[in-house]
Amino acid sequence: MTHVAWAPPKWADAARRTLAGLEERHPSRTILLFPEPRGADRVQVTVSMRCYVVQGVSQEVCSEVIELRLGGRRAQAPASIVHPLLISDLPTFCRWRGEPPWGKPELEQLVGICDRLVVDSSEWPKVPAAYEQLVTLFDRVAVSDIAWGRAREWRGRLAALWPGIARAERLSVTGPKADALLLAGWLRSRLGSGSRRELELALVRRSAKELSRVAVDGVPVDVPRGSPPSPSDLLSAELDLFGRDPIYEAAVKAA
Amino acid sequence: MLPEQFGIVGVARSEQTTKAWIAAMKKAVQEHSRDEFKQDVWNGLAESMSYVATDFADDEGEDAVVEVLRGLDEQRGTAGNRVYYLAVPPAAFETIVTELGERRGAGDGWTRLIVEKPFGHDHASAEALNGILKQWFREDEVFRIDHYLGKETVQNMLALRFANGIFEPIWNRQFIDHVQITVAESIGVEGRAGFYESAGAIRDIFQNHLLQLIALTAMEPPIDFTADSVRNEKVKVLRSLHTPGPKSVVRGQYGRGFVEGDEVPGYRDEEGIAAESTTETYVAAKLYVDNWRWADTPFYVRAGKRLARRETTIAIQFQRAPHPPFAEIAGDGMRPNVLLIHVQPDEGVSLAIGAKVPGQGMSIRTVHMDFLYGGAFRTGLPEAYERLILDAMLGDATLFTRADEVDEQWELVDSIVAAWRRDRPVFPNYEAGTWGPRSADELIHRDGRSWRRH
Repeated sequence: MTHVAWAPPKWADAARRTLAGLEERHPSRTILLFPEPRGADRVQVTVSMRCYVVQGVSQEVCSEVIELRLGGRRAQAPASIVHPLLISDLPTFCRWRGEPPWGKPELEQLVGICDRLVVDSSEWPKVPAAYEQLVTLFDRVAVSDIAWGRAREWRGRLAALWPGIARAERLSVTGPKADALLLAGWLRSRLGSGSRRELELALVRRSAKELSRVAVDGVPVDVPRGSPPSPSDLLSAELDLFGRDPIYEAAVKAA
Repeated sequence: MLPEQFGIVGVARSEQTTKAWIAAMKKAVQEHSRDEFKQDVWNGLAESMSYVATDFADDEGEDAVVEVLRGLDEQRGTAGNRVYYLAVPPAAFETIVTELGERRGAGDGWTRLIVEKPFGHDHASAEALNGILKQWFREDEVFRIDHYLGKETVQNMLALRFANGIFEPIWNRQFIDHVQITVAESIGVEGRAGFYESAGAIRDIFQNHLLQLIALTAMEPPIDFTADSVRNEKVKVLRSLHTPGPKSVVRGQYGRGFVEGDEVPGYRDEEGIAAESTTETYVAAKLYVDNWRWADTPFYVRAGKRLARRETTIAIQFQRAPHPPFAEIAGDGMRPNVLLIHVQPDEGVSLAIGAKVPGQGMSIRTVHMDFLYGGAFRTGLPEAYERLILDAMLGDATLFTRADEVDEQWELVDSIVAAWRRDRPVFPNYEAGTWGPRSADELIHRDGRSWRRH
């Protein structure tokens, strides 16, 4: 596959760290795009190949990493640079770091070449308002959200409360805002008609860096066992997915 | 590969000495050769080279050429064997062919005439050119060159189809959903404005390269690999090609945009292009091959300039599995099998198949079995022209276009262009650096299909 990552300067180190834990699991060509719109009008490229011995197989798995610094106006035309580098006929995943610039050429272009757009809405400062923008992309590209993936085990715990949870009125979440909104949106969409206004499930949130506590009508939900997945694990899981996820899309609409 | 009895004579109107011409050729070889430049090899070749500055409109010009060629016969033992390579403007074609024909000596050795495109502007002009050629040369002496046919992967199409037992039984309407052929260039007109303005994508690419790729993809197995056997089968395909109607062909012209990170001008802003030009830089079509093998199987083709990337591919998309016995979610990743033939760049073949994603459940994902020329064979691939010119020297016309093929190609193009004359296109209609106009997407979406994205 081709894995494209759009990482503004603030996210560059995090993008590299996540990638380091990913390459061994996903043989790919990774194209790291570092936009520098205020920089000189140029493209700077670094290419590397990293190979890993795979356990049980006498061969190495290699990943190519192409780092592109897009300076000046080049930052507005990423697709024209990425297109010739895509591996023919293999799926293209785009990991967008931070909140996408809705409607801007760089986002529109990359959406146009990706099979799947991977975001982490917990990186966005303006949720739930930004979800309204995200919804407009659903018919154009399959979307994955790492915030959604991170709450997978918690959704399992909540689902286990069926049928009692159908009468829930209040969801309390300690964790990132996006994770909490998506959990509430998921419950609303699964239990009701999917419209935020029509449902009465209230969300009470306490801010925390990680999703650490969920309660339904004041009753705490069992904490999932094991340590939470790493950013690399979460992205890796998204890279195994194809096609649209209607349950996630409904959760976003109801968040 | 070149024999001792060999010489190269450059002929053009430009006044220059043989020495200056050889120096220019040396520079070109140093810049463009796929192999490392070797001075001793070059010295040997340079000894055989000479230049004649002449104008074919002037009778004495041909005499000068003949004189040099006879000198080569004596000095290098070329025995009157001649390969004429005509890369000349259409206006000069008749004069040159006639002059060469008139000066053929009865006792000379063999003569072969390599003719570069454009071979005509429409069916009538191509027929006229063929008429001139026939007047002086036999068909087996004429080598109409289409460099695409010299590419390894294009020839490998024949090997793939006819040297492997597994493909031919499924190479038909019952197993193939459709075929997509893409000839995409990222460059613009690159100094060829004069030619391109009168030719456009349909004459520059569609009439020759694209239709030849269709012919090789769709042809029946030839009884042997001789020139006429192969070309007999190709011409049958070309004769049976048709478009279902004017709506099955779309054209486009690029506007400004970004290509490989650089901002590029629109076609009408290129040097030498008319400000209101209606020349198409993009053409896409749905074609059918009306025979038992391919009836109702669409061939979607597209070619254009300033597209998102340089790529020539033939994609054979097979029918979907009729009934996947997996849960609904597993089917999300299921795509039809595609046999993708990469003509350029990265020549090779890959087959897309569905495979189970490791782990619990039954999740299907498309994976590829790849054959890359560079990986399987460690020898460098010859340039298409190397192969074709050597074939012409050996008298093998298999990879050259015969007169009747050219006729059929132009007949199809004429029918398309005739429909275009009735309306005035709204150009530009696609941005440079994209995959072409929206109407091209609509062309294929109407059938519930889509273009390969990259």
